[in-house]
Amino acid sequence: MKTQQIDVATAQKRIKRKSSFRNDLDAWILMLPMVIILYIFVWRSTVLGGVWSLFKMQAYTVKEFCGLDNYVKVISHTQFLPTLWNTVQYVLWSLVIGYLPPLFIAIMINEIVHFKGGFRVLIYIPAVIPGIAAMLMWYFMYYPDQTGLLNMVLNKLGFESFGWLNNPDFTIVGIIIYNTWKAFAGTMLLYYATLQGVSVELYEAALIDGAGPFKRLWHVTRPAIEGLLLLNVVSQIISVFQIMEQPLAMTGGGPNGASTSLGYQLYQYGFNSGGKGTGQAMALGVITFLILICFTIFYFWLNKKVENRY
Amino acid sequence: MKKRLLKVVALLAAISLSAGLFAGCGEETSDKNEQGQTVISIGGWPAKEGNTLDVYTDRKNLFEANNPDVQIVPDTWAFDIKTFYPKAAGNQLPTVYTAHFTEASSIIESGYSADLSDGLKKRGYDGMFNPQILKLLTKDGKVCGFPTAAYILGLTYNVELFEAAGLMEADGTPKQPKDWYEMVEFAVKIKEATGKPGMVFPTAANSGGWIFNPVAWSFGVDFMEQDADGNWKATFNTPEAVEALQFIKDLKWKYDILPNNTLISGEEMYKTFATGNAGMLITAGDMPGRMVKYGMKPDQMGIMALPAGPKRHVTLMGGMLTAIEPNATEDQIDASLRWIESTNSFKLTEEFKTNLEKSIATQVANNQLVGIKSMSAWSDESEALNFQNELIEKNANSNPNHVRLYNEFVANCPAELQAEEPVCAQGLYGILDGCIQEVLTNKDADCKKLIEKAASDLQMNYLDNI
Repeated sequence: MKTQQIDVATAQKRIKRKSSFRNDLDAWILMLPMVIILYIFVWRSTVLGGVWSLFKMQAYTVKEFCGLDNYVKVISHTQFLPTLWNTVQYVLWSLVIGYLPPLFIAIMINEIVHFKGGFRVLIYIPAVIPGIAAMLMWYFMYYPDQTGLLNMVLNKLGFESFGWLNNPDFTIVGIIIYNTWKAFAGTMLLYYATLQGVSVELYEAALIDGAGPFKRLWHVTRPAIEGLLLLNVVSQIISVFQIMEQPLAMTGGGPNGASTSLGYQLYQYGFNSGGKGTGQAMALGVITFLILICFTIFYFWLNKKVENRY
Repeated sequence: MKKRLLKVVALLAAISLSAGLFAGCGEETSDKNEQGQTVISIGGWPAKEGNTLDVYTDRKNLFEANNPDVQIVPDTWAFDIKTFYPKAAGNQLPTVYTAHFTEASSIIESGYSADLSDGLKKRGYDGMFNPQILKLLTKDGKVCGFPTAAYILGLTYNVELFEAAGLMEADGTPKQPKDWYEMVEFAVKIKEATGKPGMVFPTAANSGGWIFNPVAWSFGVDFMEQDADGNWKATFNTPEAVEALQFIKDLKWKYDILPNNTLISGEEMYKTFATGNAGMLITAGDMPGRMVKYGMKPDQMGIMALPAGPKRHVTLMGGMLTAIEPNATEDQIDASLRWIESTNSFKLTEEFKTNLEKSIATQVANNQLVGIKSMSAWSDESEALNFQNELIEKNANSNPNHVRLYNEFVANCPAELQAEEPVCAQGLYGILDGCIQEVLTNKDADCKKLIEKAASDLQMNYLDNI
């Protein structure tokens, strides 16, 4: 009797396992194309990059194991600390210059009554201009002689021409101003979508209680978007920390390395060192990855908290 | 959960590594097609329709008619340092590709060019090349490239700005500055007469360092030397290097003859000049091809000898090499050498004559300056070279006096010819770019400190890592 019971239980388990396997198989077949793409373009290159950072490379050919030699070369490079500091400056300036404008513009659009759709489209235009074209456009606006647009304005107002991107103290700020102009529209839409979700009744209740526009902003709008604001700080840090194309196209990392970021330095190691810096490029990639993974873990943790709130 | 995660990570690592290992084991491909012809692919093939593509197509047809055992496959990839190494590592290089001498040592060291010694010997090239040039393409006795063009740096000038500043003779010959300081005087005159910058000096993308090298040599600078143990030492923390950098600084702050923009790559330099926004620049004799795309007409430009420095009169020697990919078979190397010979021949063959005539006719049709006689890669004047020079003279599309001083400079060079630094040249150029940018953006920059740091950076970041 007991043996029979065991047999039934085992058979049930087998059937369950079989059907679960069949269910899983369907899911795996559905996921397979994406898994293959991710494997080829993300996982394989990421893992190999990490492993090969421990090898001596001759151009892109793996030679002998060299331990942490590539890491030592990267960290002891005389430009490593200045470049790291530049990257931190990019992040700080992006927070100072680029963090709040999308929010203000989203609030503005949310508040206006007429031509709301038109404003939304107009404000989104920078985001649809191809990146390299926009960078060149700004490069010429910043051009340091009298043919640069900004200098034309300065000259008309009776001021002398300014060096803009040629000025080591301004070059990072200049790139961040461009970056803010190019990227704010996407973030603005996120804020705008959240603001649209805030109940009108809350604003009406606040109005009845005699709250002015700033009080309404602080007591009604702020609680609705502060989770998103927090998330955007972290996502902005992660994204700006990897800045590379902008210094590449607009300044070439100059003047005298003043706009060289870790991403740009990695590019230099990988593609502009005559094949001699490939190992260092991978080591610097791992270092950047380790720095960013801390922010990413924090981001996901924060994201979970924010999601739980709503 | 943790165990499962670890298992996934371990699996991924294992698959990635094994796939990485197998990636290198490509399938052996044959060098023959179905008709038994040797197949070679040729890089740098023009991608756009037009008369340049027509010249290549005619050249291919003529070559295949003369060499029925070879099939030519066009490949539009042209040498670019950013894509070369990934392509080479993935065995995706065309059989024949062309690069600048400046990349020669990196290409040879990486093993991405075939040894041509036997092929060249078989085809009778022993003793035919200029030994100074062949040395640049030789490692451990193996020749890894076919020199197809050679040049020395000269001083290019804008004819209209020179005329406006009174720097041209009546017959169209420019006044030749004998040294750097006289060149500065000319630049000041141009600025005074036209309001345009007297000259443009590159500062970025390693071009600044590259052009600064011959300037510094002429001030008596030696950038590096190898000691008895084979170690390389940076040797330019010297008053001579400080003086050379101070000279560049003075171009901006003392003489004010440079454009306002101080972030100028090689391409930006050519654009600035070709659009009439600078009086002079230091370039090689191959500059007409670079100017034509910005619409500069042949009679608007000229070139003359490079001025001397306070210690030496020296110019940089460079050029182009054609290499063959390292996995090419013996038959492919032989076919590739025959292809290279069809436009780079010591002997005056009918095929060479036809190809050269078409090439020069295309340059004339494209409104590109014809008249500059470059340095030769051959040891002595070959029949082919004489024919080439006569053809250039015959087809000159500007006043020959605009380029006469450069042609004489090449033919009987009074200056020493010096090749690029033997190791870490690109690293050195990058560091010098930084120094040049600093002295051109900071009026109070301390040249002595900059040179001291540059020498230390080169030693620590590059020479110690060889």
